[in-house]
Amino acid sequence: MNYDLVICGVGGQGVLSIAWVVDQAAVEAGFHIKQPEVHGMAQRGGAVSAFVRIADAPIASDLVADGTASMVLSVEPMEALRYARMLRPDGWIVTDITPLKNVATYPEAGRLFEVLFSAPRLIAVDAAALARRAGMVKANNMVMLGAAASLLPVPADLVEKHLRALFAGKGERMVGANVKAFRMGDAAGRFTVALLGGGVPAPVVARVVPRLAFEARPVDEQEMARWLDRLRAPDAQAAAARLFDSGETVEPDRGPSVLAA
Amino acid sequence: MDRILLGDEAVALGAVEAGISAAYAYPGTPSTEIFETIRQHAAEAKPPIRGLWSTNEKVALEEGVGVSYAGKRALVSMKHVGLNVAADPFMNVAVAGAHGGLVIAVADDPSMHSSQNEQDSRYFADFAQVPCLEPSNQQECYDFTRQAFELSERLHVPVLLRLVTRLAHSRAVVSSSPPRPQNTARYVDDASLYTLIPSNARRAYGKLLDKQPAIAEHAEGHPANALTLRGEGRPGILVSGVAWNYLQEALGPALEQYNLLRVGVYPLPVRKVRQLLDASTEVWVVEEGYPFIERYVSAQGLLREPPIRGKLTGHLPRSGELTPDALRQSFGLPVREALRLRGLDEVLVGRPPRLCDACPHDDAYAAIHEAIADIEGDVRVQGDIGCYALGYLKPQQAIHSCLCMGASIGMAIGAAHAGMRPALAVIGDGTFTHSGMAPLLDAARENIPVKVFILDNSIVAMTGGQPTMATDEQVVDLVAGLGVARDRIHIISPTPQRKAENVRLIRAEIDRDCLSVIIARRACVTYAKVIKEHRRCRNAAAV
Repeated sequence: MNYDLVICGVGGQGVLSIAWVVDQAAVEAGFHIKQPEVHGMAQRGGAVSAFVRIADAPIASDLVADGTASMVLSVEPMEALRYARMLRPDGWIVTDITPLKNVATYPEAGRLFEVLFSAPRLIAVDAAALARRAGMVKANNMVMLGAAASLLPVPADLVEKHLRALFAGKGERMVGANVKAFRMGDAAGRFTVALLGGGVPAPVVARVVPRLAFEARPVDEQEMARWLDRLRAPDAQAAAARLFDSGETVEPDRGPSVLAA
Repeated sequence: MDRILLGDEAVALGAVEAGISAAYAYPGTPSTEIFETIRQHAAEAKPPIRGLWSTNEKVALEEGVGVSYAGKRALVSMKHVGLNVAADPFMNVAVAGAHGGLVIAVADDPSMHSSQNEQDSRYFADFAQVPCLEPSNQQECYDFTRQAFELSERLHVPVLLRLVTRLAHSRAVVSSSPPRPQNTARYVDDASLYTLIPSNARRAYGKLLDKQPAIAEHAEGHPANALTLRGEGRPGILVSGVAWNYLQEALGPALEQYNLLRVGVYPLPVRKVRQLLDASTEVWVVEEGYPFIERYVSAQGLLREPPIRGKLTGHLPRSGELTPDALRQSFGLPVREALRLRGLDEVLVGRPPRLCDACPHDDAYAAIHEAIADIEGDVRVQGDIGCYALGYLKPQQAIHSCLCMGASIGMAIGAAHAGMRPALAVIGDGTFTHSGMAPLLDAARENIPVKVFILDNSIVAMTGGQPTMATDEQVVDLVAGLGVARDRIHIISPTPQRKAENVRLIRAEIDRDCLSVIIARRACVTYAKVIKEHRRCRNAAAV
């Protein structure tokens, strides 16, 4: 087994914290790891990345080759695209959709999302909104880790254990909010994977999931089935686009009635 | 015990468990975490490990030499360009030798992720005729560090440990072995070896030359220099350091067609190299950094048979770090298919690092910029190394050079002597004490009309918030102590509110044909908490 994960974002967004948690969990699960990361100058508001290489045999290279990564996990949507060339053709992009515009030439959001939402295996989450709901604005990195958790080769409960360890020194409130953020992200990730697995077109899923206000537990199975039916309907694409453009958030457990034509 | 460690952390732990008594360093990416990790373990050691963030790399190495002279072990760490600053003690301690184990860990930065060049420290070890160990992974970082101390004491030479960014800043699981106790202090018996007046120096240098066969034999027999001959008439590969990792990743099972020599310990194991050359139809030399090995084995292109393929021959990229993809291309393997997204290039823009929001440097630059805006002709500002070097980029575009630590003031002196007015220099508090004081002394002695801006933000920010040597009134005292008249030293507060008065003051100083020092004093916003802690420590120490 070889699983190469690219974690990316902007300096200050907590990219290296995600990598730390995955490292610890992977090693406890008995895997070999190598995990290079960017320090120094680039951390001043520049693009930051870390790779986590996970394997069941010793790993030679610290660097990941193009076309070999299984997942790009990003805390920023344009940064997700920066590393897309590293993905295998069947690789996943898991990203926050909240742009961090600290460069004047940042692309227009509509065009950015059009390219991003064309990815066939994409988990797109409004991590900033979920982090706010979890009570910790800065926890969007842990929302994103949660969104990726069900796809990683490491059990999610081990990931959560080391997430707790990361924040243990910062008080119970910090631990609680970050665990909540992680679980909300996990719910979003599992929901997305289920929709895609159920045959909902990827661009539809990409426009619905960011508008859902997930709880810190998986979406109820009955509601899940109703969402699946609704989003396979012929008019789902238009309905999803309307929901996405409205910017409004919807509770997934209230069912897809909000998408009424 | 198994731990997940950066290459830098593994070096630090190796040094701690090798029984160092002291460590010295100057912060610089990608070496900074070595000393930071040693500091975390310093108190647990018995007795506690001494040491400090030194004023500069030269001082750090001299402190390390002092520990070695007194019979104890010391680790000195720095980035590659730091060894230029420390070159004087480095070349001379090679001649003097080591008593207690002395290891200099130097982190090179191929691709210049955070540096102004990608110089290769193996040349320095070669130049000084001392052993160089080049780990290829995190475990070797730990193991080689421990071995380096043994080697240093056995052969009485300082040992250089060469790291590169991708190893320094990459994590893996590292196993450690039981710690070794520290040495007891006992001065070196023969002080003449360290007293390099010519008569002694000739004898000491003779001793260094006498050590060379043992140094070469150590490299020849070291298991990290591993030769695998698979038969005559095959191509060969000579590979060193982290390049070995990329080679395995890029070539996979195809590697088994080649005769192979791995190198991790220098000087080059020449007998093994000879065997590889004799057995192989051609030899690829794959190394991270400059074509150091390649120049040796190809006699700089003079050797005809077997053909040598590498960076000098254009078979491998001449600059930048190696990658598995670059090696696949060089060895003629196809690039792997990757996920493709239509229109991706149109929505992807660069995101370079930038000054933080509300950074005091931004306000200092804004005031300087406005003060010189109306001056006719070509006005240039000599910059220096630190966060404020980002002021070269948009939106500030405020500096016009950044050569090496402390160069701003010397270059402004040169510009003034070339007849340029105003001659301006910008330097941070950390860089000023590192190597800006000597050129300011030049300017003060001759009253050379340069305008020196010291951006005092109370911290060494770029490398992660290490304590600065002098801030606030200490900077003023240093400047005055160097001979700058008190009425030529001005303190401004770089804020948007004070901009107009700051511009007026700078203009007035520019109009005076004399040396002026303008200290823009405001603490870094990003490390505000750390600065508070540093102040508390300094005050406690002062009591």
